[in-house]
Amino acid sequence: MLFNSLKFLLFFPVVTLMYFALPHRFRWLWLLAMSCVFYMAFVPYYILILGFTILVDYFAGILLENANGRQRKIFLIASIVANVGVLAVFKYYNFLLENFNALFHFSGSDFSFPLLHIILPIGLSFHTFQAMSYTIEVYRGNQKAEKHFGIYALYVMFYPQLVAGPIERPQNMLHQFHAKHFFDSEKVISGLRQILWGFFKKCVVADRLAIYVDAVYTNHADASGANLFVATIFFALQIYADFSAYSDIALGSARIMGFDLMVNFNRPYASKSVTEFWRRWHISLSSWFNDYLFQPLTIATRNWGKRGIAFALFFTFFLAGLWHGAGWTFIIYGSLHGLALVYEFYTKKFRKNLSKKIPAFIYNPVSMLLTFLFVSMAMIFFRSKDLSMAVEIFKSVFTLHNLNSFSFPIMANYTPFGWFSIIISIASVALMFLVEKMVNNNLNYFQSDNQKNILFSSAVLFLIVCFGIFNQTSFIYFQF
Amino acid sequence: MQKPEILETLNRIWREELDNDSIVLTDESTAKDVEEWDSISNIQLVVATEKFFKIRFTSSEIAAFKNVGEMVDAIKNRIG
Repeated sequence: MLFNSLKFLLFFPVVTLMYFALPHRFRWLWLLAMSCVFYMAFVPYYILILGFTILVDYFAGILLENANGRQRKIFLIASIVANVGVLAVFKYYNFLLENFNALFHFSGSDFSFPLLHIILPIGLSFHTFQAMSYTIEVYRGNQKAEKHFGIYALYVMFYPQLVAGPIERPQNMLHQFHAKHFFDSEKVISGLRQILWGFFKKCVVADRLAIYVDAVYTNHADASGANLFVATIFFALQIYADFSAYSDIALGSARIMGFDLMVNFNRPYASKSVTEFWRRWHISLSSWFNDYLFQPLTIATRNWGKRGIAFALFFTFFLAGLWHGAGWTFIIYGSLHGLALVYEFYTKKFRKNLSKKIPAFIYNPVSMLLTFLFVSMAMIFFRSKDLSMAVEIFKSVFTLHNLNSFSFPIMANYTPFGWFSIIISIASVALMFLVEKMVNNNLNYFQSDNQKNILFSSAVLFLIVCFGIFNQTSFIYFQF
Repeated sequence: MQKPEILETLNRIWREELDNDSIVLTDESTAKDVEEWDSISNIQLVVATEKFFKIRFTSSEIAAFKNVGEMVDAIKNRIG
């Protein structure tokens, strides 16, 4: 079920009101049942996959807590194999075979593996990662194994964050499912505000930018380099608005019921380096990779000196790219970021000295701009359907293909309101950045309660109604 | 070497590795309290510490350090 669908508009108040109406001992069951309904709105029988990993990890957690030494490790590995195995079959199997088949074809052989014809289960990469976090934390002794099967299932399936995160940690979530939450008007108001802000970013910013981005990217062969450049910048803005909107709606709807989810975005485009960007963008994923892959890797390779860290950085981002999707475009997307981080690691001292010599009012904005440009250009690989498309677009942008047509001819042709739509887009992006800068820490704004905020929320609602796009487009990160 | 001395030594290593002379460590210090101490420099601090004291932590030990104090304890255990 999409957050921006009519179904959800009905689902959300019913689930929330019933949640508070029910006695505490039934609430987990209600939330679990409704989370199943939420998930089954996509492909119903895929819930069996979830059921499988939930069963495996639930028992792995209890077994490994009671085991010693090598046995503990065996249970942990069994759990990880089950989770990664599900991912491998449903997400990466075809990609692997396609590459083998291409290799066979290249070497002149007629043999080819048959491919599976399956749709990717929604949110698979999110909830398998969250499930793995559970068994790893139990293994590390930071979390007690959950004995209540229903609560453990809810930890994996909690509907606000089931399909696109934040990828939570058991230490933050499990106790919240046991605790009794009371109706708290302050939390309800701040939750509703955050949801509203999410809808603004989704309907007004993201989906409107998408019109232009989609038009240019679908006709990329005819588009000029300048148009492709602008479309790519727009896509970087769109994907932030889209994904952080999802997180805002997830956090807001959870908070209304009394649950605190982790903050997933902290104004990433204000970052002054790519390293900083990954501390502020999709924080629940980057911290997952840091805790469970990067840190163990740096510890294991610490005899290699700086090369060990460089290797760990690149390998982590290579896999983080692959996490997004089974395709060379995502591998390159991740690898580009990996290379940028390696570069920044080796030039850390140099850049620190540089920042002391150049006045901050020049150094900071230039660093931000360069970081934003890098992140945007890497997005070409994220947005393109396949590698050849990405390479063509990359070439067009950087060779200033067809420079003469630097007007926005495509824009006028494809967007329903032409220039008017572009002006709204740019204004709403500016408003989004301005508000989030003023608010700085989102929660403060969403929680404080005064007349100015009521006025502001009414204005946001007004903007959504007037300028929103209501075609119920899916969120970009749902495909992962 | 006593614990306060170990802490002082760590403080010197931290200042040198992170290139910041204003760092003041306590037993409760964590990466959150020191700006340059991040997920990348973390392992460099560990390696510099191991080199200085001529000791070697186990991987699980490193992963489990919750603050500087726990590291001081581990060093004290090794060097007696």
